[in-house]
Amino acid sequence: MRKPLAPHVFLLRNLSRTLPMVLVIGLAVLLVAGIVSLVNSIPLSVRSIYGYSKAFAAALPRNDPAYLPELERELQKSPVPIERVLRIRVAFFNVRSIVGKLPFVLHGLSSEDAAFLRERLALGRLTGRLPSRNAPEAVITRRLATNLRLDIGDALLSPADPQNYSPQVVRVVGIHEGDLWFAYGDFDYVARHHLPPVDDLLIVAKDQRAFDRWAVEHFRGSRARILTHEELLRETDDSLRVLLQLLSVVIGLLVVVVTVMIGLFINIYLGQRLTEFGLLQAIGYTRSFLARRASAEAALLVGMGWVLGVALSVGVLWAAKVTLMDPRAYYLEPLDGTALGYTLPLPLSVLAASLLTIQLRFRRFDPVVVIERRVA
Amino acid sequence: MIVASDVSLVYNDHGREVFACREVNLTISGKEFIGVLGPSGSGKSSLLYLLSGLKDPTDGAVRYRGVEFQACDDRRRAAIRRKEFGFVFQYPYLIGFLSALENVLTGWANGAEGVERAADLLERLGLGEKMHRRPDELSGGERQRVCIARALLNGPKALFADEPTASLDPKTGEEVVRLLAEHRTGALILVTHDRRILSGADRVLRMEDGRVFDD
Repeated sequence: MRKPLAPHVFLLRNLSRTLPMVLVIGLAVLLVAGIVSLVNSIPLSVRSIYGYSKAFAAALPRNDPAYLPELERELQKSPVPIERVLRIRVAFFNVRSIVGKLPFVLHGLSSEDAAFLRERLALGRLTGRLPSRNAPEAVITRRLATNLRLDIGDALLSPADPQNYSPQVVRVVGIHEGDLWFAYGDFDYVARHHLPPVDDLLIVAKDQRAFDRWAVEHFRGSRARILTHEELLRETDDSLRVLLQLLSVVIGLLVVVVTVMIGLFINIYLGQRLTEFGLLQAIGYTRSFLARRASAEAALLVGMGWVLGVALSVGVLWAAKVTLMDPRAYYLEPLDGTALGYTLPLPLSVLAASLLTIQLRFRRFDPVVVIERRVA
Repeated sequence: MIVASDVSLVYNDHGREVFACREVNLTISGKEFIGVLGPSGSGKSSLLYLLSGLKDPTDGAVRYRGVEFQACDDRRRAAIRRKEFGFVFQYPYLIGFLSALENVLTGWANGAEGVERAADLLERLGLGEKMHRRPDELSGGERQRVCIARALLNGPKALFADEPTASLDPKTGEEVVRLLAEHRTGALILVTHDRRILSGADRVLRMEDGRVFDD
């Protein structure tokens, strides 16, 4: 041991003192990262579940089927080239998410439009078959099948299920293996058995984001409603804003509590080490050396706590993802950058409080007082 | 080497001036062994803190090799204490989480070969077998010997010992003083209230009410 006063020596040889503090910091980091990751999984789920909406915009006549031809004419005024306009009918069912059930669309498509969208959305290899004309049949993607625990032959909609209702049992006849969430059935069946009795339009453009922006502006205040992926994300962010603000307050309080607690611990431990500091100053170490050494110990302690917390977070969230989330096709990001960002104020404020404590302790430190006190 | 000129140290005790040292004049040179004798509260320890630069006098000046301590900043003063002086206190202060050898090494200020030198010193002080033990595994006398090794590590020009035998039994106390006198590399200034342990001193000073008298 060539450097007995190196900062890590105290930490490693006084584990009964340092480990609880490292653990407290680590657990606080885990708590913050866990909460933020779980909250972040909500928009992540929305982005993933409705990810298909990036491929097109939806235009819905408001309460007036007669407006549809005019709506189509208006769409043709788009400065962004339109690749295809699809007439669809929709039925709804629920998917499960971390925040409960979310509505999902069963797209009633003609066989030509279905072929176009399969290609466009890259839905992947099909297990089973396509829905037959005018039949109560549906094709879904693997994620959806995992989420609803459905296999080929199972009922997607049923007269006995009020939340996923259809007058006939709509069975899954095919599953695409791609990652996207999507469901489609036959246009005629959906049109005949599901409300509203209005065709909707899906518009696929060469530059979808540019078209979406134009359409939202162009139809603002009109008799059509435009649904785009960006609007969906904005609405999600709006609905989460208050939750995130509350979360920031909770995290702030947690940071304050942990900071005060660790600051007090460090102050107590410094008090218990006055003899050591007094002795070292008496035999020729400067006050600034001792303050730097104590600061380095505090920084190392806080750093270890943070690293432990991040490691715990990644481990616990990964385990939760694998065991709880993935089997239900729920979304959770174990290495969420935002969550890690939220954990940073914790070690920084604990370190600041520790350094302040150390500075106050050493500002007027007199070794003779300690040596004369004759305490062990 | 160390010269105290008209040095006084006054404490303020609830508005009342108390002289810990009063107009002390003293010169310490070479490898002198100076004993400072006096009852409790006579100012022995204060004199030692003044001579070693741990405390500033209220009046007068203490010079080490011509340099006045009060004119030195914290860093310079610490460097002198670390490189030129050695300290042994009444209580064998050691750092609890370090071994005997590591405790000795905390006194090292001169480069890389400290471990060998510290181990050699502990060997010579009879602690060769116990150099890797922690302080709580050593007896009071053994701890004080570790403190002596720490104080001697840099070959100090002046060794300050403040009642080094007070917490030890008489036999161990005599042994500690013998080791200090035998292994010192410069002057030894030993403060005590026990006249018996100063038999080997070159000079004995007596302190009463902060004043120093030749014994």
